[in-house]
Amino acid sequence: MSAIDIRGVAHRFGDLQALAGVDLSIAQGEFFSLLGPSGCGKTTLLNIIAGFLAPSAGTVVVGGRDVTNLPPHRRDIGMVFQSYALFPHLNVFDNVAYGLRVRKAKGEDVRARVAEMLELVRLSELAQRMPHQLSGGQQQRVAIARALAIRPQVLLLDEPLSNLDAKLRKEMQTELRRLLGNVGVTTVMVTHDQEEALGLSDRIGILGAGRLQQVGTPLELYRRPVNRFVGEFVGHANLIQARANGAGTFEASAHFSRAGVPLQLASSHAAGGDVLFLLRPERIRLSALSDYAQQTDAPNTVAGVVRDASYTGAELHVTVTLPGGGELVVEAPEAHFTDVPQAGAPVQLAWNADDLAVLPAESKGA
Amino acid sequence: MNISLPLSRVSTSGNSLFSWLLLAPGMLFLAAFLVVPGILLIVLSLHDVDGMLMVLPTYSFSHYIEAFTSAGYIRALGTTLWVAALTAVLCVLLAYPAAWLLVSTRSRAWRTVLYVILISPLLTSVVIRTFAWIVLLAQNGLINDVLRRLGLIDAPLALLWNMKAVIVAYVQVMLPFAVLPLATSLGEIPAALPRASQSLGAGARHTFLHVVLPLTIPGMMSGAIIVFALAAGSYVTPLLIGGRLQPLLPIGIYQQALQIANLPLAAALSLTLLVVTAAIAGVMSYVQKRWERRVYGH
Repeated sequence: MSAIDIRGVAHRFGDLQALAGVDLSIAQGEFFSLLGPSGCGKTTLLNIIAGFLAPSAGTVVVGGRDVTNLPPHRRDIGMVFQSYALFPHLNVFDNVAYGLRVRKAKGEDVRARVAEMLELVRLSELAQRMPHQLSGGQQQRVAIARALAIRPQVLLLDEPLSNLDAKLRKEMQTELRRLLGNVGVTTVMVTHDQEEALGLSDRIGILGAGRLQQVGTPLELYRRPVNRFVGEFVGHANLIQARANGAGTFEASAHFSRAGVPLQLASSHAAGGDVLFLLRPERIRLSALSDYAQQTDAPNTVAGVVRDASYTGAELHVTVTLPGGGELVVEAPEAHFTDVPQAGAPVQLAWNADDLAVLPAESKGA
Repeated sequence: MNISLPLSRVSTSGNSLFSWLLLAPGMLFLAAFLVVPGILLIVLSLHDVDGMLMVLPTYSFSHYIEAFTSAGYIRALGTTLWVAALTAVLCVLLAYPAAWLLVSTRSRAWRTVLYVILISPLLTSVVIRTFAWIVLLAQNGLINDVLRRLGLIDAPLALLWNMKAVIVAYVQVMLPFAVLPLATSLGEIPAALPRASQSLGAGARHTFLHVVLPLTIPGMMSGAIIVFALAAGSYVTPLLIGGRLQPLLPIGIYQQALQIANLPLAAALSLTLLVVTAAIAGVMSYVQKRWERRVYGH
């Protein structure tokens, strides 16, 4: 039985269709992320699961029980808010105990459970502190302890790491994985940060324009995006429009050509017709070209000129301009280079037939 | 916040002469009309009077001794504080729904309308407002008239000239002072807090009692302090609606000053009322600050 079943959920704000026909099943114990740009409807969907919003259509089933018409406090769903929403007038202990006291738990049970939760988030010594005396990371851990204390069927996380600075965010990501791994609670996280989603989730649902664009494991989404939106949103993408030439290969569109000679593409994923290829920057091999004339006409090989190269420490980002005016972005591990390529240097790019993922061809103008 | 930041920097950094200049007119005004009369009042309260109530050049605590040994004045002080406290409590209770409505009104236009309605009692002269109550509450007033015509009463009810009428009139005019700080307090509660409470299983009642109500303590205290101080010092309303026999200290002061013309005793009673009221307001304010420091750390 799945922990959450969302069937045909839609929501309108006035004229705005925030969500349209979302169907989604989330398995027991799964860490599921709703990922999308701002305004894609992911927070709306989270609020519908939590019960803060009633969907215009569709049903929400949690643990086999239809909760669509239940108010939030009857849903048995824990939630960690983006702002943490700790009660400022209660100390850490009382914040974590809040949900237990609502449930009229006995004093000793409350004490035991709160102690257990604070130990889990490693804040046992801070039980008597007020929220304003805690750092952002500590506040977040209290919020998580408070939500987990009530043993919810489902834990909802609303942009949990967005208020933390970059370094702390990495730490909390590890911490979150440890915590939720221990507890094993079904978790739904809303985020706009793909790294966060890829790093934490068992599966991810990509939301765009109010629709669920694709649901899959991080690997599936990255390697086999079903459309351009997913391809461009998850990771970096080079997109190449191409057409089958009848000889088993494809010809890239004009601005990837060299002096009228089209770039030949060989793909192990596409058969024929018009296709949009997606080529990840890190799949491209970049090699220096001492002489422009050395270049070969082999498929999946093209020569170009470095327009821009930036060095981030771990890797090198190179933008290469092709003779036809098109650009390809290359990301290569730092160790592959003796020196950072200079702008204007001729380079050769090559990739494997397996690396050209196929997106459905788009109609004109897209 | 981004706009106020540079301004607050200007006022705290170096340029203090300029900020003192800005403060000067207000400070001078307060000095001339609050500090100096206050000192004069203290001096006056210590003067002795002769049998004809003429002010003598000698000093003593005789008026304070009279104030604190006379059962009448002690009782008047107690009644005054009790009535003021009751008014403050009633105002805060009645202010809660009004403040809630103000804060939950989404439309700007409607909120403006509500604010105008709210402060309209303050825009009316105290005399007009008070006479309106007399028209309503008198023996042959509107309320008695309607009740008699409906056959609900035979003889007119004594609605005027009692403390209940005074409290009703107080609450009417002082309600806005309780609503405004409470609305501010309510408006400052982030929407995520009630939601967090709900997600933890609390219904509307539990959320209100355990989250909303405690977080509005500062607003309730602010409102209560203002209302309490205003009610403790008011004399026109109780005089006109309660009558001159009500055992309220401001009425006693009024009589000593303007009818009996024992100015030093009036001064001593005024200062007594002032100090007691200020002390109570100070304690309330201290409790409020303590709470704010505990919750917000400043």
